[in-house]
Amino acid sequence: MVETGSISILLAFIISVYVLIASLYGVKTKKWDFVRSAENGAIAVLFLLIIATIALLHSLINLDFSLKYVALNTSTDLAMIYRFTSLWAGQAGSLLLWCLVLSIYTAIVVLQSRNKDRQLMPYVLATLATVSIFFIGIVAFVESPFEKLPFMPQEGRGLNPILQNAYMAIHPLTLYFGYVGVTVPFAFGMGALISGKLGDEWIRYSRKWALFAWTFLSIGLLLGARWAYLELGWGGYWAWDPVENAAFMPWLAATAFIHSVMIQEKKGMLKKWNMSLIIITFFLSIFGTFITRSGIISSVHSFAQSDIGPLFLGFIAFILLFSFGMFLYRINDLETENSFDSILSRESAFIFNNLLFLGAAFAVFLGTIFPILSEAVTGNKILVGPPYFNRVNVPIALVLIFLMGVGPLISWRKASFKNLVKNFLYPILLAILTVVVLLVFGMKDVVALISFSLCAFVTGTVFTEFFRGTRVRTKRGENFLLAFTRLVSKNKRRYGGYIVHIGIVLIVIGVTASSVFVTEKQATLAPGESMELRNYNLRFDGLEQYTTDAKNATIANLTLLEGGKQIDTIAPEKNIYKYEGNREINQETEVALRSTFKDDLYIILSSFNEDGSATIRVMINPLVNWIWAGGLVLVLGAIVTMWPTRSRSRQEAFIRYTVSDHDNPVKAS
Amino acid sequence: MLKGKLKFIIAIAVIALTVSYLVYGGVKDTMVYYLTVEELKAQVPTVYDSRVRVSGMVVPGTIMKDTNGALEFQITDGTQTIDVAYEGIVPDIFADDVEAVVEGVYAKNDVFEADTLLAKCPTKYESTDSLYENKETSY
Repeated sequence: MVETGSISILLAFIISVYVLIASLYGVKTKKWDFVRSAENGAIAVLFLLIIATIALLHSLINLDFSLKYVALNTSTDLAMIYRFTSLWAGQAGSLLLWCLVLSIYTAIVVLQSRNKDRQLMPYVLATLATVSIFFIGIVAFVESPFEKLPFMPQEGRGLNPILQNAYMAIHPLTLYFGYVGVTVPFAFGMGALISGKLGDEWIRYSRKWALFAWTFLSIGLLLGARWAYLELGWGGYWAWDPVENAAFMPWLAATAFIHSVMIQEKKGMLKKWNMSLIIITFFLSIFGTFITRSGIISSVHSFAQSDIGPLFLGFIAFILLFSFGMFLYRINDLETENSFDSILSRESAFIFNNLLFLGAAFAVFLGTIFPILSEAVTGNKILVGPPYFNRVNVPIALVLIFLMGVGPLISWRKASFKNLVKNFLYPILLAILTVVVLLVFGMKDVVALISFSLCAFVTGTVFTEFFRGTRVRTKRGENFLLAFTRLVSKNKRRYGGYIVHIGIVLIVIGVTASSVFVTEKQATLAPGESMELRNYNLRFDGLEQYTTDAKNATIANLTLLEGGKQIDTIAPEKNIYKYEGNREINQETEVALRSTFKDDLYIILSSFNEDGSATIRVMINPLVNWIWAGGLVLVLGAIVTMWPTRSRSRQEAFIRYTVSDHDNPVKAS
Repeated sequence: MLKGKLKFIIAIAVIALTVSYLVYGGVKDTMVYYLTVEELKAQVPTVYDSRVRVSGMVVPGTIMKDTNGALEFQITDGTQTIDVAYEGIVPDIFADDVEAVVEGVYAKNDVFEADTLLAKCPTKYESTDSLYENKETSY
């Protein structure tokens, strides 16, 4: 099986090189047979990588410790499911997965559009093949998961216990689907630049793929946050760690892209901007892979450090030089078809949205590479921590939320005063009402007040849109529910987007509440003693110990009381893993979480003493569940948006009806 | 038309300047020097009372934990050693010989008062050393 795996990877590499050459040669000389054979080659690469992945999975599941990768990431006591997920627990396996996902996407692109555009598609394929060559090359020649050890260990090192978690099992996978997904819109952009076919085609494909990648990046980020929250035991879900930023930066750029692409689609504007954005997004996605994989920026996440750093840097330099070179070469073909009329228009709201997203991406980028930058310039290693990221990003985020309310409702071209009043009066009143109510309830934090009122504003605008659209249909005699579902299903992109916005609002509410209003307390308690926290009372009933095959666990039994009434029992744990092997991490603090929509009680057993007392740390994090709920809503909205439409109704979605457009009809254009 | 363009340029400039200002102010107010133990010692006494981040290996046998969860230990870069006092959440992998990263203030009594403690694995994550050790014990 092992030989099968390494040979498959080698063949996949050779065929990828062939795909690149054949597609370019075919389109240059108009020998379409070559293009066709390149396309078949891409399918063959997919099959070869599937074989290689199956071979590695086979070794992982059967614990073939003669393979370095298997010995480092599994052990005999590892549950079957985690043997499977070890595929992406280490460096070489993750890179193989990268290649596999890219080859799946390439095959889909080939199958979907092989007969679409003869000029554009070969170049798209060539770009995808170039990226494949780089990654498959690394797996084949530098970081092979099929590398053998000079001896056969009796036991593997095993999987880090904090990675043995359902969220960690799927979080890297979703993130990879997103990271790699960014390659496809980039390839379409490159294809358009090289072929000179800079019309609507590339933008239409890019938009869909970018949305797809964006959705997976979002899911990946949220799952990662949830994992950090449950496993890392410091009470938060986001720490502005370089590895988190690595995934956040392409997300920011991709968010800008999926918005600005609409302006190009509808108005033929922002062509240069969109092209640059997709290049930047792809750059950030590769850069993200680079910083997580090279260990160049120290992170608390213990990823593998290896010597693939220089290779990545070379590849990144090549991408940037080549793509911006092509961009300059075609710059005259990227002239805009329309110009901006007014600063009070949907176009300009989108421009501001883009500038802010890019500004945030830049700030995060700068903060992430600051240690390297400062060391290069001044010789001193200087860090900027979470306070920097919060200070820069919170104001940007607040303005973005405001724009999220404005963008969908304001008219195209130029908004009249009448239009503004009509669309925004009620949402603004709702925002003001929110502030008043919160003030009455005693909320004093300015950032939280602004954030919540902006959330109310956005919610107001979205509901206005749903309400108006549904009312138009009910007036035609449809019942409310039918009108509502038809409204959404006939304008999936528009209303799906609104649902995503509602998801974001929920996330923002959760993030605001849980970062501004945390209550934290630590106390050392003897059995029978209790601690007060807000309206809760936590009683420590004593320690309890138990042993399983894998670990010695100590539990602190706690009883939660509210207003004198017992409402729950809670048991945070501290585990000592009994390894036969030599694993570096053998201690694990298992957080006890009591989660409701109102707040999370986050309880950590910090330490315990021989006299039976225990040091307990408790946090009350309000509204954290809103973040995860918002994530579900976001995914729902993204699915609605991407749901395939028959081509006739897609036309309707394009012409789409807009309340604001009726107020201010576009003069004959 | 020209007036419209001008408004745009002003608006864009305002955004760019605001972001730059936020970045500049953020860096200026939150930046922290990342030092080795030796560099920290070399900067005494100017380093006193300013916020720094220091990394070093935890000296084996120096970790002392009182019943309230407060922690004292020493870190070293091989030549110099400093005392560290910390109270808060202790990472699971924190132990003798791991690389600890602490952030806080070096007080005049030469104790580093840390409010952040991070720990890194002592060896490279993908080192095969442990497998060799394992091999020896199993034969």
